[in-house]
Amino acid sequence: MKTIIIVFLALYMSGCSQKLVRVMPYEKEYFAQDKMSLSPIPEQSEQEGHVFLIREASAGGNSSFQGGCGCR
Amino acid sequence: MQIGYFFLTILSLIVFEITSFASNLKDTMSFGFDTYSDNADIQVYSPTFSLFKKVSRQWMLGFKMRVDAITAASIRNGANVTHVDTVTGASKGQNPFNDVRYAPTLIATYDDGENTLSFGGYYSTENDYEGRSVFANYVRQLNEQNTALGIGISQSFDKWVPIFKRALPTSKRAERKIDFSINQLITPRFSIQGVFSYMYSTGFLASPYHYVLQSDIAKFENYPNKRTGEAFAFKGVYLLNRDTSMNFSYRYYTDDWGISSHTFNVEEYHDFSSKFTSGLRLRYYTQTKSNFIKGIGDYKANDTYFAIDYRMSAFDSYTIGIPFIYKMKGGDKLTASIDFYKTTNDVYMKSWYGVKSMNALFTTLSYEFSY
Repeated sequence: MKTIIIVFLALYMSGCSQKLVRVMPYEKEYFAQDKMSLSPIPEQSEQEGHVFLIREASAGGNSSFQGGCGCR
Repeated sequence: MQIGYFFLTILSLIVFEITSFASNLKDTMSFGFDTYSDNADIQVYSPTFSLFKKVSRQWMLGFKMRVDAITAASIRNGANVTHVDTVTGASKGQNPFNDVRYAPTLIATYDDGENTLSFGGYYSTENDYEGRSVFANYVRQLNEQNTALGIGISQSFDKWVPIFKRALPTSKRAERKIDFSINQLITPRFSIQGVFSYMYSTGFLASPYHYVLQSDIAKFENYPNKRTGEAFAFKGVYLLNRDTSMNFSYRYYTDDWGISSHTFNVEEYHDFSSKFTSGLRLRYYTQTKSNFIKGIGDYKANDTYFAIDYRMSAFDSYTIGIPFIYKMKGGDKLTASIDFYKTTNDVYMKSWYGVKSMNALFTTLSYEFSY
């Protein structure tokens, strides 16, 4: 956990590298489309996140928030 | 405690680094209706509503509301049929629904184009459970918005209120989750995301209603009162051709109860026209059992832990689904999805729910528009 925090902090403070500028602003038209989103349908992501959270023992791996309920 | 100092440091940096760029915020409203039903007699109908309103160029306030209306679900294995532990919680027998859960969320968002900070509070109430959480999430865009680093934290302060008299070791349940994420554009057609989550739970972590029933034993479930889990996820989205994209993800989860899991997810989206997008999603999940669950009939009266919930056992699950996106005039959007979920056969499911495997169908329908 500590290592991850330190690495993350280092990345955060350094601003990474200009080598990571791989796509110019005028090349980003595809990323504006729904199908190029990591969660094209937020309502579905929220619903399935809730279903999988209560039907399975695993959690995490996404940066979204899920409130608690008496189902787990 | 060290983590607390770390976040205070980060938050103090945010205050100094926030600058004035173009904001991506806009006033939106949405209405939705989700459903869930399975072969264990559980049906949930969930109307949802969200409202986001800009209060300045860079600040927005939001309100989300979700209501889960749950119909009857019986528990086999001798339990009172009015005591149900459903997809959203155990409840009393009341018609037409056994339980109704109300879950409002308040959100405040700052966005200047380079920095996005969201924070808020969540509250939920149902017959036997109260949920209270606070959360904050910060994303910083770097490298001409090719890279995004994110930090999120949430802390819940939940409370069990069992519907029948039962003295729990503690009625509290607290869960902390910390997420670190990094998004990177690789090419004009390909982007990836990595997420690490750390989760820590304390309190009463079992269900107050599940119990182990053997010829010589009748014991309520009892789990360890602490649980630490970690999850690593890798996601990506790739444009196959002008009209088709492929969305994929893998997650590895592990915790100190001995459960580990692998999740694979693949989704294909295709633009059938300038307005209509649909596709197919496939998901596979497999988990190992917890280190304290025993075979049915194998518990001894002096055991420390008792588990009968199938989620503590080893099983696999498969999901297949179809998403729909329909874009309308003015940026309005109608979205829908339908997913079928099936687990492998499990003796604990058979014992508690009376079904060989869990089969579920869940759907979403949402209409979002700007105003």
